[in-house]
Amino acid sequence: MIYPFLAVVKKELTAVLRERTIVISILIQFFIASFSSGLLLGMLSLYDADTIMQFSGNNIRIGVVGSASDQLAARMSERGLNVISFDTLANAQAAYFAGEVIAFVDAPQNADGLTQVKLYLPDSEAVSSIIRMVIQEPLKQFENDLRKANGVEILYTGLKGKPATSFEFVYSVLIPMLMFFPAFVAGSMSIDAITEEIEGKTLQTLLSTPLTVSGMVGAKITSAVILAIMQCAAWLMLIQLNGTVIQNKGWILSMALVIAGITSTMAALSATFLQDRERSQFIYSLLLLAGVGISTLLNISPITTLSRLSIGDPYTNGWDVMIFALIFFALFGFLLRSSRRFNS
Amino acid sequence: MNQILVIAWREITRLRKRFSGGASPVAVLILLAVLGVSAYFLRDNVTLGNGLYRVGVSGDVPPIQDSRFEVMEVSPEEGQVLLAEKKLDLLIIDAEVYAREDDKSQFAERALKQYMEEAELIRVGNSFAEDEAFPLRVGINYLGAEQPAAGNDAGTGQGETATPPPPPTTKPEEIIIPSLTPPPAPFTQVLVALIYILPITFISIFFTSSFMDEKANRRLTVLLSAPVSPFQIILGKMLPYAVFAISTTALIAYFTNANVPLALAIFAPTTLFIFAIYLMVPLFYRTFKDTTFISMLVTTLTTAYLVFPAMFTNSNDLAYISPLALAVKMYRNEPFGWREYLLPSLPMTAIFVFAMFAGTRLLNEEFLMGYKPITRKIADAIYLMMAHSKPWFAVMLWSFLVIPAVYMSQVVMLAFATNLPVSLIIGAVLFTAAFSEELVKTVGIVVLAERGVVSSVREILWLSFLSALGFLIGEKLLVFVSVSFVSEAQVSSALFGAGVFLLIPLLAHFVFVAIVNLLRLKLRFPYWLALIIGTIFHFIYNATILRGGA
Repeated sequence: MIYPFLAVVKKELTAVLRERTIVISILIQFFIASFSSGLLLGMLSLYDADTIMQFSGNNIRIGVVGSASDQLAARMSERGLNVISFDTLANAQAAYFAGEVIAFVDAPQNADGLTQVKLYLPDSEAVSSIIRMVIQEPLKQFENDLRKANGVEILYTGLKGKPATSFEFVYSVLIPMLMFFPAFVAGSMSIDAITEEIEGKTLQTLLSTPLTVSGMVGAKITSAVILAIMQCAAWLMLIQLNGTVIQNKGWILSMALVIAGITSTMAALSATFLQDRERSQFIYSLLLLAGVGISTLLNISPITTLSRLSIGDPYTNGWDVMIFALIFFALFGFLLRSSRRFNS
Repeated sequence: MNQILVIAWREITRLRKRFSGGASPVAVLILLAVLGVSAYFLRDNVTLGNGLYRVGVSGDVPPIQDSRFEVMEVSPEEGQVLLAEKKLDLLIIDAEVYAREDDKSQFAERALKQYMEEAELIRVGNSFAEDEAFPLRVGINYLGAEQPAAGNDAGTGQGETATPPPPPTTKPEEIIIPSLTPPPAPFTQVLVALIYILPITFISIFFTSSFMDEKANRRLTVLLSAPVSPFQIILGKMLPYAVFAISTTALIAYFTNANVPLALAIFAPTTLFIFAIYLMVPLFYRTFKDTTFISMLVTTLTTAYLVFPAMFTNSNDLAYISPLALAVKMYRNEPFGWREYLLPSLPMTAIFVFAMFAGTRLLNEEFLMGYKPITRKIADAIYLMMAHSKPWFAVMLWSFLVIPAVYMSQVVMLAFATNLPVSLIIGAVLFTAAFSEELVKTVGIVVLAERGVVSSVREILWLSFLSALGFLIGEKLLVFVSVSFVSEAQVSSALFGAGVFLLIPLLAHFVFVAIVNLLRLKLRFPYWLALIIGTIFHFIYNATILRGGA
C-alpha cells in the first residue's frame, strides 16, 4: 500500500523538479520578498519623517521670522531641524533665494481667535513633500500648545517610542507571506496534478494499479506539501541569516505545514467536485480569499498566529497551531469521503 | 470583423456552458457574498502589525480600538509585574503610560502614540468648539525658483510705513489644519488604484484558461483549419474578456467617484498589456503546472511593476513609469500632462502590439503542440517571427520592437537592485541592463544562424550592424518620448545613452553585438559565455559614460 503511494509522491516531485517549475516558484517568492523590502526601504526613506531626520535632519535649514526661542521655532529645533531666525519676512525671502534656507515660516499671527502661520516652500513636489513631512510633528505640537492655552487638554502627548513600521512589516507581513505563499502554490499544484490525470484520461489507468483513490489524492497532496515546507524552511534560514530574530521556529514550520495541508485539501476538494482545471482553480482562488476573510473575522487568523509565534508572544504556543491542525484533519476526512466520486 | 465577432460569440457560449453545470453558480455567488461581507468588515480593521502588541490597562483609560493591540484589564501592581516579565509590552494606568527600554516595548509605544493622537483629536473635536479644538491654520505657499526683480517698492514712495510685498508664490495658498492633514504619502490612493488591476488580472487568467483548454482538447486545431486568420482567432477570443475588463474598470471608476473616461484612458493600456502577457502563457505552456507557475510569476511581476513605482508619486518622477501613478493623481484631483500619460502608456501599448504580432506568427499546430525545453520553444518562437521577412529586415525590426520590453525589464531590475548595498546598486543595474540588451540584440541573429539562414562572417557582421542600428533607433525614440522626462534619474542616461552624438553609441552597440555573435557562431563558445563577455564590454562602456557624465 505504502509503495504505490510513495511512487506517486516521487513521480510528482521529480516532474516538478524536471520541469523547473519550482525554480519559477522560488523566483516569485524571491521577487515578492525583495520587492516588499524594496518598498519598505522606499517607504522609510521617502515617507517616514524619523528616517528623513536621521539621515538629513541637520541639512534641512528652515528660516523663521522672529526669535528662535519662540514657541514654534523651539518645537522645530527640538525635532532636530536646523532653524535660522530672521528679523523680517523680506530677509527670510532673500536668504531663501540665496540658498541659505530651503523653506521659511512667517511669524504666527492672530486672526479672529485663530492662530495663522504661513509656510513658504519650494515649488518642487519632491522637496516640498519632504519638508512637509518633517515639519508636521512640530506643527502638531505647536497646535497642542495653543490648545492648552485655550484650556483644551490633550492626553497622552508625552509618548515617544521607536518607529515601528519596519518591525510591524517584517513580522506581520513579510514572514507570514513567505510562510504562506508556498502553501497557496501547493494548492494550485494539487489541482493541476489531479485534473491533469482526469483531463489527460490517465486517471483510470492509474487506479487500475494497486493504488486506491484516497491514496492517489493523498500522494498528490503530500508531494505539494513537501515542496511547500522545503521552501518555508529555506526562507526561515534566509531571514535568520539576514539578521531577523525568529522565535518558535519549530511551531512556525508546523503551522506552515498545516496551512499547506489545508490549502491543498481545499484545492483537491474543488478538483474532486468540479473535475476540470479551469473551474477548480477559480473556485480554489475564491475559497482562499474567503478563507482569509472569515478567519480574520473570527479572530483566529493564521497570519496573526504566525506573527505572534515569530515574535515570541508569551500567550501563543503549540495549542494555537493545534486549532488549525484540527481544521486540516476535518477537511482531509471530508476529502477522503468525497474522493470516492472518482471511482464512479 | 464579422469573423472576429463570430469567434467572440462562440467564446461567450463556451464560458456560459462551462459555468452552468452543477452547483457551481450557487457556490460562486455564496463565495462572492462571503468575500464582499468580509471585505466590508475588514476595510478598517486590517492594518500593518495586526495583533503584535499586548497592552495592560488599569483605571480610566479610553477604549483602544486598534487591531494592533490586544488589550487586557490588569491591576496596577499586576501590570507592573507582567510588564517587567515581558508578558505585556505597555502598561497604561489612567493617563500614564509605562514602557520598557527594549525594542518591542518602544515600538508598541510609538504605535500607541499614533493611535492616541487620532483618538484624542476625535475626543476634543466632539467636546469643544471647533476654533478651540483646532486653533491653528497653516497657509502653505510655493515659491518659484527665481527671485523677482526688486523695484516694486519704488512706486509706493511711503518709506517705512509701507508693508513689504508678500513673497511671490506660484500657486494659490493652501490652508491646512496640521493635526487633521494626512501625510502626503499616496498609499491609500495606490491601494484604490490596485482595485482596478485585480479584476483585470482575474479576467485575463480566464482568457488564458480558455486558450489552454482549447489547446488541450485540440479544438484550436480545428479552428485553425477553418478559413479564419490567427489574428482573427486571437482577437475574437480576447474580445469578450477585454470588453468585460473595460466595463469593470468603468464600474470601479463610477463607484469610487472617479472620472470614468479618464480612468478608462489610464487603464486601457494596462489592460492591453496584461492581456498581451497572458496571451503568451498558453502559447508557450507545456503542462498545467507550468501554466500555474508562469501565470503566478506574471501576476507577481506585473503587480510589482505597477505598484512599486506608484508608491513614489509626487516624490520622484520615475513614478510615472506606472499608470497607477496617474490614477493616484486622478484621485487627488491633480492634473498631469501628455508626457506623464505617454511614459507608462506607450511602452505598454507597444508590448501589446508586439504580443499580437508574435501571437499571429506562433498560432500554428506544430508550435502549439510541440513539447520541447522552454529555451528551445523560445528559439522556435523567435525564428517563426523572423522567418516571414528577409533576414536584414527581420533583425533590424526585432531589435527595434523589443525596446519597450527591455525598458520595462530594466525598470524592474532597478526595483530589485534597491535591496542591494548602496555601493552595488548602480553597478548591478548597469550590468543586468547591459546583459538584457546584448541578449535581445543577438538572440535573433543566433537563432537565424543556427537554422542555416546566415553563415558567413560578412553576413553576421552586416546583421550585427543592422541589429545595433534598429536598437539605437528604438532607444533614441524612447529617449525622445520619455527618458528626458525622468532626468532626475542619473542612471537613465547610462542605460539609454543620452549622448547627442549618435555615431559612437552606434559603433559601440555594433562592436558588442559582433563580439557576442562571432564568439558564438564562429568560435563555438556557449551562448551564455559569449553573452557574458559581450556584457562585460558593454558594462565598461556604460560605466565610462556614467563617470564622464557625472
